[in-house]
This record gives sequence, structure tokens and C-alpha cells, in this order.
Amino acid sequence: MIGEVDMNKTLYRFLSFALMIGLLVLALKVINWIPLAFQQDAVRRYKTVEEVRAALNLKEIYVPSYFPQQISWPPSTILAQSKPFAAMLMEFTRADKRNTALIISQSEGTTLIVENPIEIREVTEKVQYPIKGRNAVLTVGFCRKEEPCCGITWTEGKYTMTVLMKSTPFELTKIVESMLR
Amino acid sequence: MNLSTFFNSVVGMYLTQSFCHSVIAAMITDRALKAWSIYDPLVRQRFRLIVILFPIVSFPLYQLINPARSSVLFRLDALFDVNRWLFLEIWGFIPVSLFFVLMFVATSLVFFFQEMLPVLRHTLDTEHPEHEGTHLDVDPFMGEASRRLSIKKPEVLLIDDDSPILFSTTGKDAVIFVSTGLSRALPPEQMHAALAHELAHIARNQRPLLIAVFLLRIIMFFNPIVLVKFRRAVRDEEKICDDIAVSLTQNPAALAATLSVFYQKTDGPPEPDPRKLFRQPVSLEEYSHNLHLGDRIRRLETGADGRGERWGVPFLITLLTIAVLNYFIV
Repeated sequence: MIGEVDMNKTLYRFLSFALMIGLLVLALKVINWIPLAFQQDAVRRYKTVEEVRAALNLKEIYVPSYFPQQISWPPSTILAQSKPFAAMLMEFTRADKRNTALIISQSEGTTLIVENPIEIREVTEKVQYPIKGRNAVLTVGFCRKEEPCCGITWTEGKYTMTVLMKSTPFELTKIVESMLR
Repeated sequence: MNLSTFFNSVVGMYLTQSFCHSVIAAMITDRALKAWSIYDPLVRQRFRLIVILFPIVSFPLYQLINPARSSVLFRLDALFDVNRWLFLEIWGFIPVSLFFVLMFVATSLVFFFQEMLPVLRHTLDTEHPEHEGTHLDVDPFMGEASRRLSIKKPEVLLIDDDSPILFSTTGKDAVIFVSTGLSRALPPEQMHAALAHELAHIARNQRPLLIAVFLLRIIMFFNPIVLVKFRRAVRDEEKICDDIAVSLTQNPAALAATLSVFYQKTDGPPEPDPRKLFRQPVSLEEYSHNLHLGDRIRRLETGADGRGERWGVPFLITLLTIAVLNYFIV
């Protein structure tokens, strides 16, 4: 009898603790949602570039008009914000393998940090590369698993632009050229 | 560097996340103490240490486990992203992050003036002791109690003051100071209880664990939650020393009677008086001091100390819950 009472007491204590944790999680979710409801400008996911244009009133969004066949359109991920600074990031997957093959980032401040699937781990070449009158920096090297990859960074008006691709520099420069007038 | 850049930096993320992690840890430990009806001050202090120590390591530990934890994608799916609030602007131009900065600065100042300076002064006093007073012979009690606590018997000095004063310096050659006023007010069994309490402080201050906790707590100098919890842990320390004193004297009533000498009776919190704005904190401090003393006296009189409770499983569950939940708080 005493053992049963102890058991009930223990169970009650665990349940009371678990209930409080449940309520805490719920409260955190609500508190996390409130700023998004009040501030449209905060970073969030978008489905299309047009949606970003409409929601954030970003006038200049740099999208390539040339895509190699292996890259699928539309972007698999679009992240954008206009506060505390305007920034947008697009990820494109390879049509056959469905893994990220191209990343385009434009930002007024620091680049939006994502789990970088295109990280140039071994740099073989880093050169100044003039592209349609802009002073760009071209980095060539290898990503994980010795996969060739490269990136171009330049300043476009108030934005810092970065384009990373798992490919040769030839394809990358063609994509970047198609983004600029 | 603007505020948003700062809060996106490693230092900024450490400040904000350690604050958030301590808030969550405080809420969970408070609930755990209530749920499992834990009243033993020693165990309560251990739970509070989670709130003080966990936020020091949580952010670097989580980043080590998952470097992508600070990425936007992780933040978007997180349980709580503090940056959403930090980058919110009140009336379109006052960033909420400014209030965070002010809160951290205010806490740092409180920590420096109310904790760091007194500790430095106490350390200097202990290193260069100026023991003025006459020797008070309390043997054989002092010798026996010191032996039971495995510490060197401290000297007891009588200082000339009519107020009830009792304190001790720690270190290699610890000294207990008793005022003449207190010495006159206390009968021998209460004097033993008072000295036993001071002996307990000396014994516990010689344990490197407590010193290490204080040194680590300094890293969280900006964190208001840690500030509050550390003060509660210090209050628990008083109760722990009460328990040790009772174990030495076997006389809780004598210690309760001794504490009541220090209790200044008030009927409630002081009424706010705008003319005495700068004197108010002192009155509040006295009120808070009395509340704490009252709580200790009640505890000794009722004997509701909760010693011998089983706390291992609740402690582990609480720690794991805090660790798991805070991983998703960025």
C-alpha cells in the first residue's frame, strides 16, 4: 500500500514536470512567432523570387538568365530579409542528383550564414577577375570529396554578391555574366 | 560596428544565447525543485549551480556538436531565435537589442560593485589580517567542533561593539569575530550555535569546488539570471551552514534563537518615499535580509529541512531536459 502511494507520488511528480516542459515549449513557440507576425522584414523562407519582391520591396534582385542544363529552376531554397539589412540567398540543386550545386547570395551586410554545402576547402587559385566592368575575385578549388568548385565575389551597388558553384569556373562566369547588365 | 553585426558575431551570440539558456535553465530547475518537493538546501544549491554553470559552456559546446547551428536555416526551424526579437524595432527606429545591451551593462555594474569589489576587499583583508580584539576562550567546544569538521581551530576574537556582530575571515588562519554586544546577549548554548555556523562557513570555504564555482561565475558577469541565482545559491549556503551547525550542536532551537537576535522586526516592505529615494535600497536590503532570516528561523523551528531526499534521478532529468531544450534555442 505504501509502495503504491510512493509510486503514484513519483508518477505525479514526473507528469507535473513533463507538463511544465510541454507548456514551456508551447510558450517558446508562441514567443518565437510574435516578432514574425509584427515584422515582415525579418528573415524567412520564400517560395519564389516574385514573392520576395512583393513582400520586402527589394527592387534589385540579381537572378541569372543563363542556367546550365544540370541546374534546375526554380531555386530549392530562398531566404530573404530587409531588416536589419537587406539580404537574399538562393540555393539551386542539380537536376539529376538533387544536391545543392549553386548558391547566389546578395547582401547589404554580412552574408546570411547557412549550412554551407559549397565550401571551398582547398583553394588552388584566387585571382582578380574583371567581369562586365566590375572588379570581381574568382576563387577556384575543391569542396568536400575532392569535388571541383569555385566562387565569385564582387560589389554591385550597395550589395556584396557571392556566387558559389560546384563546377568549373567556365560555367560559373557564364552564370555571373548573365546576372549583370 | 552596429548592433545587428555585433549580435551576429561570436561574442554577441555567446552573450545572448548564454542569457537565453540561463532563463530556460532557471525555469526548468525551479519547476523541478517544486515537482520533486526538494527542500534540502545542499541539493537546491546543486540545482542552482546548473543555472550558473551550464550557460558558460552551452554555446561553445553546441557549436562544437553542430557548427551549422548558427546558420539561418537552423534558426528558422529553431524553437526560439532570439535574433528575431533583437532585430525588432520599436516605432521603427529603437532596436530591442539596445535594451539587451543596457541590461547587460547594468548587470555588469551591479556585479562589479556588489560582488567583485567586496570579494576583492575580503581577499585583501584575509591576506593582510589586522586582528584587533581580545581572545575569547570558547574551549572545549571550538576544539571539538573543529576536529569534527577536519579544520584547523580558528581563533575567536572579541571586538568592542554594542551591536550584535558575528563574522569570520577565511583562509589558512581563519578568525571568528564576535562583538561584545553579541557576547553579552547570547547564553553559552547560543554562542556555541553561532560559532558552529561560522565554523561551517570556514570549513566549506576551504573546499576548492566552491571557489571554482565563483571563479567560473565571473565569466557570466553580464548575465542577470546568473546574478540572481548566484545570490540564491549564497543564501542556500547559509542554510547549509545552519544544518552543519545543528549537526555539531544537536540544538536547532539555540541557533534559531541566535538568528532572532539579528532579526530586525518589520511589518512589511518599506513604503516608497520620494524624499528618501537614495535611502530606499538600504531599507529594502534590510527587509530582504529579514525575510531570509525569518525563513531560516522558521526552518530551524519546524525542522522541515528535507535532508536525505533522493535527488540523483531528478537532477539528471533536469540537466538533460535543459541540455536538449537549449540546443534548439539560438
